[in-house]
Amino acid sequence: MSENRGNFTLDAAQAYLANEPEMQVESLSERLHTVTDGQCRTIFVAGDSGVIAFDTFGTPGRARAYRRAIEATLPGKAITTIIYSHDHLDHAGFAADLAPDAEIVADELCAKVIKARGAEGQLQPTRVLTGERNDISIDGVDLVLLNPGPTHGSGNIAAHFADERALFSSDTILANAKYGFMPDYHFANFVPYMRGFLDLEWERFVPGRYELTDRAGFERGCDFIEAVMTACQQAFANFVPIWMYEPMKGFVGGNLGEQFGDLEGFDGHIGQMSIRVVHHYLMGGWGLEDTPEPSVLLADEVAL
Amino acid sequence: MTDNHDGCGEHCGIFTIPGEIPILGAYRDICYVPLRGNIWTASEGIYRTCFVEGEKGVVAFDTFGTPGTARAYGGAIQRVFPDKPVHTIVYSHDHLDHTGYPEELSADADIIAHDLCQQVVVGRGSDGQKAANEVWDGERRDFNIDGCRFELIYPGHTHGDGNVAAYFPEEKVLFMVDTVIPGVGYTTLMDWHLTHYVPVMKRFLSLDWDTFVPGHFWVMNREQFIACLDYFERMFEFGQKAIIDGIDPHDWDGLNKYTNEKLGPLYGREFRFGEYAAMNLSRYMQDFLSGGWGIEGNLLPDTSPL
Repeated sequence: MSENRGNFTLDAAQAYLANEPEMQVESLSERLHTVTDGQCRTIFVAGDSGVIAFDTFGTPGRARAYRRAIEATLPGKAITTIIYSHDHLDHAGFAADLAPDAEIVADELCAKVIKARGAEGQLQPTRVLTGERNDISIDGVDLVLLNPGPTHGSGNIAAHFADERALFSSDTILANAKYGFMPDYHFANFVPYMRGFLDLEWERFVPGRYELTDRAGFERGCDFIEAVMTACQQAFANFVPIWMYEPMKGFVGGNLGEQFGDLEGFDGHIGQMSIRVVHHYLMGGWGLEDTPEPSVLLADEVAL
Repeated sequence: MTDNHDGCGEHCGIFTIPGEIPILGAYRDICYVPLRGNIWTASEGIYRTCFVEGEKGVVAFDTFGTPGTARAYGGAIQRVFPDKPVHTIVYSHDHLDHTGYPEELSADADIIAHDLCQQVVVGRGSDGQKAANEVWDGERRDFNIDGCRFELIYPGHTHGDGNVAAYFPEEKVLFMVDTVIPGVGYTTLMDWHLTHYVPVMKRFLSLDWDTFVPGHFWVMNREQFIACLDYFERMFEFGQKAIIDGIDPHDWDGLNKYTNEKLGPLYGREFRFGEYAAMNLSRYMQDFLSGGWGIEGNLLPDTSPL
């Protein structure tokens, strides 16, 4: 039997899609748990009768491994709801393999992108949210879902758990410097939107990748991105050849090493981050997502 | 000048750092050559564009990417046509490095842009990038401005927003920015809409032209245009294979080792391979890991002939 393919077209991808890695679960409270495959990370919540799972992980095999991890943590409870953090396949691509009959909740723009994409295994949301804040109750769990505006991907929503004093936001701030080329980030308002989460009461931050951090680690992550954006402007302003990896790594890494060089992955990633961020200033941002009053071009082309 | 930072002394695009930004005002030499008919092409060594001689003035495509370079571009045009002002500027697309500084090129010129470009230009409100005063939408529009005859074509989503080609059928010249460029792609293919890119660009092969003017580096012929698209088409396969082979798209050393080993024998002599093949691969890998980006990156492309 072949696996759901997402966007893959090569038959040789089947083994990659089928691989089921070991999942590591950490309980943040009696009802709230976080799980990782070593790279991506998400959360799930025990409801009165079932489980609310955020995201699916990025292959059919990982989705199945996620399901087993949930079953082992919360035996006897089925996944009745999936909440997509955003549209990307590596986080929300395989609901068909995690829980095909679950209700799926997502932001409207996320739902539109998923419909346009039509990736195999990425099921269409059944409940669509709009606006910056949605307070909803699902299976006895009160959820606060927040979409401050374009940050990463499309329709990216964070979840605030007041009782646990926890915040989950996928592929935005990390506890380290392993941002790579920062794919599909929207920089124009990214840091202000992220800092807006600091208006809420929480102590623990669950990112969409790697390890957890606390409020101070989150604030430092915002400081780091902001510092990279400033250093990239300074590089551009002072004739650093912004299209070259090594000079950009040298300038930005040299400027920020003393303050942020202790972040895991700094040396391996600061050059990649710099190449991406400096082009924000060269080109002016990408699309209407990167404007002072952001919206989305062609959003009306997709009807839900 | 902008009021969002002090002391810049030039139009500052979207810079937010205070104080002087030396690169913005720096003069750059512009090289310019006649291409065919009344079409000229100009470059400062990396960026390239076109300008067209009319009966009374000049139609200039784009502005280059800093105030200083825009002034130098205007100066170059005036050196060729000292009695003919730039009365029209055509924006190829929305990005500031190509269309950010019309005032320094020709402050009173009319500006033409596609609607999708205009929406972003207006929304961005970048210091120095003026909104167009003639906006068109749809796929094709003929223009005859002061004796300059060309067609603007929006073939679909390729790179940036509202990115249009200029087609000169009588001269058999096609000009389009940041799509087909000599050698491998630029860095991580910034703001490219990969789902659309190759099939949309292939639509231009239904038109009669033999000379292609890209937005960077040197002028190409039809065969070189096709070879470039072949490279990008094959990258869809390499992007998948790299994931299957366990490559991390953010492992810079691993990406370079992989591209040198797998792509080097095929494309190692291509212009900028050593600089950008690994970044190209990382971007294509993301297209399979995350899916295309946003609405533009996921709509089905129109592949019909133009």
